[in-house]
Amino acid sequence: MIIIYDGLIYASVLAVLCVGLTLTYKITSVPNFSHMAFAILGMYMALITSKVLGLSVYAALPLAFAASGLVSLLFYLAVIRILQKKKSSVISLIIATLAFDIFMIGVLNILADSIRNGFQVLSRDFTLRSTDIVLADGLPLVFVVSIAVLVGLALGLYYLLYRTNYGMRMRASIENETLARTLGIDTRLIFSMSWFLSGGLAGIAGVLMALWFQGDPSLAMIMLPSIFAGSIVGGFTSIYGAILGGLLVGLSEIIGTTALVDVFGYWIVQYRPIIPFIAMIATLLVLPGGLAQLVTIIRQRRLKGKNA
Amino acid sequence: MLSHEIIFVADLLAIFSVYLIINLSLNLEFGYAGVPNFGKVLAVATGAFVMGVLPFTLYGMIIDYGGLEPIDDNIQLVREINDYIALHPETAVGVFAITLIVAMVIGGILGLASAYPAIRLRGDYLAMTLLGFGEMIRIIGMNYTPLVGGTLGVSIPDMLSFVPNEYRFVAASLVLVGFAGLAYLLVSRFTKSPVGRLLRSVRDDEVTLQTLGRDHKKIKMKVLMLAGALGAVGGLLYASYVEGVVAFGYNRLNWTFLPFVMIIVGGLANNKGVLVGTFLFVVIRKLVIYYNDALDGMLPFDIIWLDYLALGGVMILVLIFRPHGIIPERPQKTRQLEKG
Repeated sequence: MIIIYDGLIYASVLAVLCVGLTLTYKITSVPNFSHMAFAILGMYMALITSKVLGLSVYAALPLAFAASGLVSLLFYLAVIRILQKKKSSVISLIIATLAFDIFMIGVLNILADSIRNGFQVLSRDFTLRSTDIVLADGLPLVFVVSIAVLVGLALGLYYLLYRTNYGMRMRASIENETLARTLGIDTRLIFSMSWFLSGGLAGIAGVLMALWFQGDPSLAMIMLPSIFAGSIVGGFTSIYGAILGGLLVGLSEIIGTTALVDVFGYWIVQYRPIIPFIAMIATLLVLPGGLAQLVTIIRQRRLKGKNA
Repeated sequence: MLSHEIIFVADLLAIFSVYLIINLSLNLEFGYAGVPNFGKVLAVATGAFVMGVLPFTLYGMIIDYGGLEPIDDNIQLVREINDYIALHPETAVGVFAITLIVAMVIGGILGLASAYPAIRLRGDYLAMTLLGFGEMIRIIGMNYTPLVGGTLGVSIPDMLSFVPNEYRFVAASLVLVGFAGLAYLLVSRFTKSPVGRLLRSVRDDEVTLQTLGRDHKKIKMKVLMLAGALGAVGGLLYASYVEGVVAFGYNRLNWTFLPFVMIIVGGLANNKGVLVGTFLFVVIRKLVIYYNDALDGMLPFDIIWLDYLALGGVMILVLIFRPHGIIPERPQKTRQLEKG
């Protein structure tokens, strides 16, 4: 049973992170290499809420959303937007996000040290699993919440993007920024919102991570390839692709490793980080557009079938 | 005993030399040819890992280890080899030369491997793939114990054991400075030659280059091979300088991000800029470590994290306010241009 919890919680969290990464990439064309730092910030919000303030961990969800969202928004406004105005290359933008990642790792470690020294709380490799509520039959609440967050995110984004006026503006800004602006759409607001949303979602993912797995600033470097792998498997253009890609990579990391342990022995566990990398390379070689491309191909075939 | 000042300067020069070689190779790839190698650590770690393995194998052919294993009986074996080197300096030169060549070959092959995505993928996808390449080598190094001792690492024989103890430290620095000077001269000659202009044209306009009958893919493959070999030399020299290899140390911050900061701050596609940027950051980092103890205990957190804040912050500020670095790239002077 534990493997199902491990796999599904990890996969859902990864999918939420992939959605955030894809969102800012699609809307502002920035591959954000500091995305995981926002999640770690969420983890520490969870730690502070439960161990320092003594509240329920779930109270950290809105707090983490706000904190990570704000940091992400600030980074966009103070750095990314200025660089984009100067027509910096994509590579410069990537270097800026990498630099911000390093900066945030410093900030998060200082936060971790301060929590430990100020409140005598274990602040590295910590887990809040024991504070979680257990439902009937030993079912942990975080399992239900993780899946609920993912489903809610999928439905919510669908509603936002395709059923509201704001979503229409958002899609218009992605399709053609200049045209959208001539029509009076405030694209700057929309770009800023996408960064806030992306960071906030990462914050929520961080809280959920801390409730089941171990939280540590070093995860910023360790988990980043998985997020990119999930997003690329999904196609890096579609929100639903990101959800599917994240689930796929997350599940193959956990369940794939467990299956390999049965065949090769326990030593293989340490090579788990290579799985998302293989998934990424395989996708780029076989189907560079990811799952989104697959959907397009199937649709085109169907159209051809109808016309024939 | 050496005075503190000499040790400080010797160590500074050694680290400067290591980074200079790595940064020159990164500048070839990124500054000149425009390939954002976010997996620079791959080449560096390769050089270091070869240095962590091959000298044991080669000395195994010369001396009878008497059943000692390079990883399990590491310290004892290193001591025996060091004693042997002290008596037979010529073997150290030979072993070091062979190790260097092998490291360059493997570095070159891995550079060629990273050329496969480099000529097929766009900037952002390429960055992710190369970053992944770099992570893999660390994971393998940390977990595959027979390579370089896994998480614990290995000590490696000191190739300068024949130098009297009090001069050993300075001698090592001088050897490294020699290598770095040689690398600087060679790379400068290389980039000032017409090939240098060819590389820039790969970066700036592939299409025009193709209309002139040049194959940009082949040029990229060659430059990545060369840079891979050079990066491996940097890693190998670092490993032999610190007389050990700990896979954990070959992380993205020290061997990918820091070189990027150094060459961007100094000025891309400009070897003098690399020189300035490298020197600046090596001195700053050295001073931070030097004054670390003075600040220790005054702050409620580990000083090392301030280093992260400074590095990340400086990089962002430079990208915003001085994207061309301290010494910006200039058009290359050719004879025709000088004539006017």
